[in-house]
Amino acid sequence: MWLRTIVVDTRHTRPLLTHHKTTQTRDIPITTVPTNNSSNQASHILSLLGRIKTQTNGGYQTTNYNNQSAGGYPSTNYSNQTNTPNQGNYTSTPYQNYTHDAANTHSSTVATTTTPVHYQQSYQQWPAYYGQTEVPCAPGTEKLPATSAVSQSFPVPGVTNETPASNGQPAPSYAQPWRQETDLSQPPSQQPAAAVSASNDAYWKHQTQNQQAHYPVPPQNHYQSPLETKPLYETPFQGHQRATYPQGMNSQSSVHQAPLGYRQPTQATPSVDTQRVSKIQIPTNPRIASNLPSGYTKMDKGSSAAGATQTPAYVSVSMPKPKVHATPVPEPGTLPKSLCGFVERAFARCKGDKEKASCQAALKKVITEASDDGTLHTRDWDTEPLSTVLNTDVTNTESSSTLISSLQNKSPTKRPKSRWEPLVEKPFVKSASTFSSGVKFGGWNQQNQNNKKSFESFQKADAVTDSKPTYSWQNSKPAYSWQNSAKKSFQRPVKRQRFSGGAATAIDDEASSDSDKDSTPSAMSFATSAEQTKRRDSRSKRFEKVQGHSRRNDIPRPNIANVGILHSRRGTALRLGEDFDESGCRSVEDIDWNALTVKGTCQEIEKRYFRLTSAPDPSAVRPEDVLEKALLMVQDSQKNYLYKCDQLKSIRQDLTVQRIHNHLTVKVYETHARLALEAGDLPEYNQCLSQLKILYADGIEGCSLEFAAYSLLYITLHSNNNRELLSSMSRLSKEAKKDEAVRHALSVRAAVTSGNYVMFFRLYKTAPNMNSFLMDLYVEKMRYKAVTVMSRSCRPTIPVSYLAQVLGFTNTSSEGSGEKETDSMEACSEWLKAHGASLIADSNGDMLLDTKVSTTNLFMPEPEDAVAHGDKNLDVNDFFTRTS
Amino acid sequence: MAYVSMGEAHRRITEYLNRFCDAVSYQDSSMLCRLLSFSSNSPSLLSLADALNVFQDASSLIRQSDKFSEYGEILAHLFRSLQSYRVGNLVEAYLAFEKFANAFVQEFRNWESAWALEALYVVCYEIRILAEKADKELTSNGKSPEKLKAAGSLLMKVFGVLAGKGPKRVGALYVTCQLFKTYFKLGTVNLCRSVIRSIETARIFDFEEFPRRDKVTYMYYTGRLEVFNENFPAADTKLSYALQHCNPKRERNIRMILKYLIPVKLSLGIIPKDELLQKYNLHEYMNVVQALRKGDLRLLRHALQEHEDRYCIVAVFLRSGVYLVLEKLELQVYQRLMKKIYIIQKLSDPARAHQLKLEVIAKALRWLEIDMDLDEVECIMTILIYKNLVKGYLAHKSKVVVLSKQDPFPKLNGKPVGS
Repeated sequence: MWLRTIVVDTRHTRPLLTHHKTTQTRDIPITTVPTNNSSNQASHILSLLGRIKTQTNGGYQTTNYNNQSAGGYPSTNYSNQTNTPNQGNYTSTPYQNYTHDAANTHSSTVATTTTPVHYQQSYQQWPAYYGQTEVPCAPGTEKLPATSAVSQSFPVPGVTNETPASNGQPAPSYAQPWRQETDLSQPPSQQPAAAVSASNDAYWKHQTQNQQAHYPVPPQNHYQSPLETKPLYETPFQGHQRATYPQGMNSQSSVHQAPLGYRQPTQATPSVDTQRVSKIQIPTNPRIASNLPSGYTKMDKGSSAAGATQTPAYVSVSMPKPKVHATPVPEPGTLPKSLCGFVERAFARCKGDKEKASCQAALKKVITEASDDGTLHTRDWDTEPLSTVLNTDVTNTESSSTLISSLQNKSPTKRPKSRWEPLVEKPFVKSASTFSSGVKFGGWNQQNQNNKKSFESFQKADAVTDSKPTYSWQNSKPAYSWQNSAKKSFQRPVKRQRFSGGAATAIDDEASSDSDKDSTPSAMSFATSAEQTKRRDSRSKRFEKVQGHSRRNDIPRPNIANVGILHSRRGTALRLGEDFDESGCRSVEDIDWNALTVKGTCQEIEKRYFRLTSAPDPSAVRPEDVLEKALLMVQDSQKNYLYKCDQLKSIRQDLTVQRIHNHLTVKVYETHARLALEAGDLPEYNQCLSQLKILYADGIEGCSLEFAAYSLLYITLHSNNNRELLSSMSRLSKEAKKDEAVRHALSVRAAVTSGNYVMFFRLYKTAPNMNSFLMDLYVEKMRYKAVTVMSRSCRPTIPVSYLAQVLGFTNTSSEGSGEKETDSMEACSEWLKAHGASLIADSNGDMLLDTKVSTTNLFMPEPEDAVAHGDKNLDVNDFFTRTS
Repeated sequence: MAYVSMGEAHRRITEYLNRFCDAVSYQDSSMLCRLLSFSSNSPSLLSLADALNVFQDASSLIRQSDKFSEYGEILAHLFRSLQSYRVGNLVEAYLAFEKFANAFVQEFRNWESAWALEALYVVCYEIRILAEKADKELTSNGKSPEKLKAAGSLLMKVFGVLAGKGPKRVGALYVTCQLFKTYFKLGTVNLCRSVIRSIETARIFDFEEFPRRDKVTYMYYTGRLEVFNENFPAADTKLSYALQHCNPKRERNIRMILKYLIPVKLSLGIIPKDELLQKYNLHEYMNVVQALRKGDLRLLRHALQEHEDRYCIVAVFLRSGVYLVLEKLELQVYQRLMKKIYIIQKLSDPARAHQLKLEVIAKALRWLEIDMDLDEVECIMTILIYKNLVKGYLAHKSKVVVLSKQDPFPKLNGKPVGS
């Protein structure tokens, strides 16, 4: 398919190339691999093809590429360019380009091909043109930097709010703008200059405009002076060197469309065969402009091979048109147009991707052979039987596909991908890359299908309109046909967008139905609703397959799902898109939260906790009623905390996986939090508390006040963060402040901030709920502070009995039985000694704290249970009990 | 909305576009400011917004002329934002404005001189205000407000643009202040730290070089941060700087500064005059100051404790973050109380005046309707002695505080308690 177009283009363009009057600049993404012999031509083409294919899948408009092959390059480039400068823009702009391309394509393939070339000319005129011509194309699209790529990138008329008016308007008169352009068309000298000055934003803006502009322009050119139009994109074919748009190309420009993508550009350009390419300008990305020497100045002078030495990721080649209509003498390095026709014909016969691939391989072989034995230009390609290339086995496919797939594998990690960007080729992905990778790019697969479909439908369209395409310029299409096709193509993007939009909100039925609704009949003349449904079916089928098939593939999903639960579920497609932009590693757009929710079937009450490393297996997940029993079991269990913690964690996991948010969830977390407090397991307690806060905030009943008190205590005693304390205090409602536990917590806070140890230990003894457990963790510090203060302030001695009472060593504040008192006395003096206090006995034998001596000697001893790794829960013995 | 004819709309839009381009090409910053400041609700902007809503396809107008299309991206987003703003769709308005701001900052980066600094200020201000409004709208719709956060990161980006050598760096402090406002509102105060660090350590910045307005704001916010950290001397310096340099006619600003400066000063033992409190309408501090003067613990506790009628004041203290500071004044009140007892004892029995019985103190507290047993009183006395608010020692056995004969109640004199 793609080849067909290419060929067509080549035929016409090549001769023209040589004779371009006006300098035409065009961005050709050339990651040039210098290839100077004819055998490489074949590979050029093929790589081109591959590349085109890639773009096709890229999710823009498959069709364009197919028809336009050469056109495809520039557009990709453009999208790259745009990306960098205004990070937002890229989506929209390229998109528009595509639209135009499409338009061109329909009317006359030839025209299309040339189109990309001219953008510089149009540069100045474009606004005017644009204003008039492009209206139907969702005005405002171009200007939308897609912060949230999803919503805005595709402001297709009628779809989003952003596309303001004039959606319905048919393309206004084309003729006029074109003419203007023609008159004006001169290579704007500014541009190169701008390009040089690095990071010149203005430049970028121009670029953007250019992109948009140049598409429109070419048709006009052709229209008026058909002879002049030499599609420059052909250049690659002529100069073999340039032609190779190898994998590198693909990987860089198409795969990561990130700004980085085209930094790489400076790859040595092969020496160009200069005469022909007399003026090759390679305006590069401004950022890399420094690498680029002169180049630009030479542009108009016709000095040969000016910029040729460097190959930026995209190269705009400006070609002078020396003469009008040179005879198409096949030169080495160019492809005979008949060959192109041959290739095109071959591809036209192909039906499926497979066939195409095999055909491609066969073609490559044939061309290579021909060029090897020198018959490339002599052979009569027009009569060459197609059977040689058709029906061959799909053997060589892999070689080309592997490149792409390998590239593709890189891409996801490089940067967040949105489905909106041109993607790496799909068909190949399917065959060559493992499914798991496919899953990773969840969206892409869907895209895949979309693309394929649209692609096919477009082919059909092609067949309808251009069943016998007139390729010659002389036959320049009457304006109306162009318009027609333009209309179609304009709609086209809409359609695509919708579909991808539907996919993005995979769950969101509303959205997809919307998309159906919106699709205009004319747009869908080729893609029938039946096709749509089929498409959707296949999409959902694929999804099932993913789920049922190999669980491994799902790995990323459960995680995402968990995250989703933590966050709120209200995510709209837009929000998802934004999230995705930020976090950016997966295409979140495609996650179907509901579908990912597991419904457990496990009936075992006891289950060990194991952190999920794969998608949850429903057979290992307990449903709610079993979980309830499990909770009771844990509560009644006599085993130690570690066991309970383990069990509770597994319960929590099952709850999370099934997205159960109800009283049971609250109960589980509350139970766990209490147990964790009891055991002094603060990390676990914190986890539970943060979950509880969310659950309470969702309005689920629970002991919220009790836990409010805990959290207050926790902040007071352990986090030592005034701001947090203040905010949580100010958040307490009046009712909350009446609660006993909360009041207690507030008093504890007051005692702690003022250092009132007497108050603290009184509160310690009267703590409600489990407040005392939290205070436990602070007792040591408080005692130490108290003794420090007292030994500093009191003279000469303090009886230990008093300290024992004040510092909470006694069980009750009232004097208990003598035995108890001595116990607590002993504990207290032990503690004091352990902290370096000096004790003396008075004449009665009562122990006294010698304050003066103690003042200087007090110290905080290392906690006895301290372990080297800092977490006593990791104690070896505990470890064994856990694992046994 | 008044009816605007198509032609009129067209005229207004074109006029705006012309003005915008003129402002840029003549580097007329004040004009640019006027053209960008949404929140001023200036009639010209409002009428433009109406025009935009009538004349839906403004972007084609922009595209029609080279002059406009050069700023096409900026203008298109601006228009869209204005449109949404006018119809009350603040979230949309914010989103478009954010894009506008991005485009504008890109453009600004290219302008060699700092002529558009004022306009950039306006953009920074507007985006924050719009974000706040958008968040309000989001909250009322039951969605999570996140726009202010987004505005924060955008402002951070702007800061990055300004923080460099060259004339634009004087604008960095304004953006910093907007960031402070954002972060304080968001409650993510810790994010301020990185900005502060670069302002205070980067060599490109000379603090005195910044505009006074920004310096005052900066000092105010960093002073507040120090209050949070209970670093009172530093808070005192910063807030005092703000007070000294702020515009004396702006009473509201002075009041804002004093709201933090007074507690800070109080905790350093410096008590403001009543006139000051009255002049700036700081009645919430009246009782606190009185309590400190009189040693009236009850009054202080009342001032801080929630009663139905004073609930709002407590909430204010809590929200503004001075609650904990004021609470710590309790120790000074105790000190004052002891001093009073000491003076009274001195009158009756000068020889034994330096011995304060805990009983007596507890009695005095009871008169203030504060019930404390001796243990607690003893605890507080030890703390007072430990914190150096009282000189002397506590004889535990005899339950007596023995005061030093020299300066038993040392004044703080601007030093924080416990130093």
